[in-house]
Amino acid sequence: MTDSHNHSFKDWAVEQLEFYGGVTLLTRDCLREGFRKPHYWGLLTEQIYQIGVKSFPLVLVTSATIGAVMSLQFGYGLEKFGGKPYVPRLVASTIFREIGPMFTSLMLAARVGAGMASEIGSMVVTQQIDAIRALGTSPIKKIVLPRIIACLIILPLLVAMANVIGNTGGWLIGVNELGLDPQFYYRRALDTANIRDYLAGFGKTFFFSLFISIPSCYFGLTVKNGTQEVGMATRKAVVTSSLMILIGDFFLGKVFWMLEKWL
Amino acid sequence: MAIIEVKNFHKSYGTKSVHEGVSLYVKKGECLGLVGGSGTGKSVLLRSLIGLEKADSGEIFIEDINVTHFSERQWQEIRKKVAYAFQGGALFDSMTVFQNLAYPLIEHSKFSPQEIQQKVSAQLKDFGLEGSEKLYPNELSGGMQKRVGLARAMMLEPDIILYDEPTAGLDPYNTRNIQDLIQKLKKKGVTSILVTHDMPTAFAVCDKFAFLKDKVIKEQGTAEQLKDQNDSLIHQFIQGNIL
Repeated sequence: MTDSHNHSFKDWAVEQLEFYGGVTLLTRDCLREGFRKPHYWGLLTEQIYQIGVKSFPLVLVTSATIGAVMSLQFGYGLEKFGGKPYVPRLVASTIFREIGPMFTSLMLAARVGAGMASEIGSMVVTQQIDAIRALGTSPIKKIVLPRIIACLIILPLLVAMANVIGNTGGWLIGVNELGLDPQFYYRRALDTANIRDYLAGFGKTFFFSLFISIPSCYFGLTVKNGTQEVGMATRKAVVTSSLMILIGDFFLGKVFWMLEKWL
Repeated sequence: MAIIEVKNFHKSYGTKSVHEGVSLYVKKGECLGLVGGSGTGKSVLLRSLIGLEKADSGEIFIEDINVTHFSERQWQEIRKKVAYAFQGGALFDSMTVFQNLAYPLIEHSKFSPQEIQQKVSAQLKDFGLEGSEKLYPNELSGGMQKRVGLARAMMLEPDIILYDEPTAGLDPYNTRNIQDLIQKLKKKGVTSILVTHDMPTAFAVCDKFAFLKDKVIKEQGTAEQLKDQNDSLIHQFIQGNIL
């Protein structure tokens, strides 16, 4: 291995350690500050609006399209085996368990994670974070916590909506393209996709909320030298959040299966 | 009695050492001019006095309290009586001028909305900023942003004010206004440290000077005492030849 390879590996390793250490410290600070007064409910409400209400159109289009595409692909794919009647079950359980939570979270990571990192990074560059501290207030309470809590509240709600919209998209295609009976599709989806499917997906969303908000705030807060770093922080926030969601999805999926067996 | 005292302060960033044993003190009601060439770490030292930077070693005392190893939570209490006036204002760009000025009062006082309105209006008048309440920072000139930043820093009537280049980039008229404001606060007994390259302002408002060079305070004393030093660089600074 050459010196430059050694050097870049060392830089990468240091960066990783800084990230895990920084995120741990940020989480610790959030837990400490979260229980202390004052609580900024107004800022939380504003973030719920920014993160939730403004993300809804994106979630609507994404989940409806994915439901429709899944229904179409499963329908045509299973047609030759006479498996069309299984489409409602397949679409519903896949959306509940995997696609609904994961795609909604990825959309939020792209839209909200990038927004958080760039907004906080810009505040660092323009010394607004320093000003918050210099005026005797806490950037954790004023900036970080409202975003994390808003994500924890909003993502599960968006996923619940994405599940309904995705299945509606699947139903529309099932009825209009695959020729399935509307009542049959509806009942089949409700009968076979159980509450466990729903909860397995829903439970993941709380972890995904943290995977989006904490790294995004961390990368924003660690911007140091100018606007170029704001762009880098934004990119890192989206990549890291997305990777954590994708990798976390596998492990959380496994954990929820184990829990179901145990229960 | 020293209100601010720094003892053997060391600070470095990675391998770059900025301060290697800085010591200084400021008595109650005094205004200290912290001068030195660009990149000598004047702002770093000023930021350390309000906990925005952590000392590597050494000690910082504010009103005889050793604040060197204070937690962020403890610093929050100190920052209610020590104000920091940022070089560029550091205004919250999502807030109007009124909201920026009201921020410290909303956070740390029990004034009613009407009282806050009155106090902000009075402060805006003092700083010649009447009529700008509803403007956002991006609608203000650089000089106005700086004045709004100063006005915000003084909203809680602090005991100590740290000024980071308060007159940089201002026209002579506004520079004079800032000088008058600092003088007015001095008369009220406010202790201050002024980081500046603007020597006329420094001479107008500072009681004494600390000259930062080679990572330490080379000299500390009145303008007259500094004039007696043999260091040619200090002389040039005192004469205003190096800005």
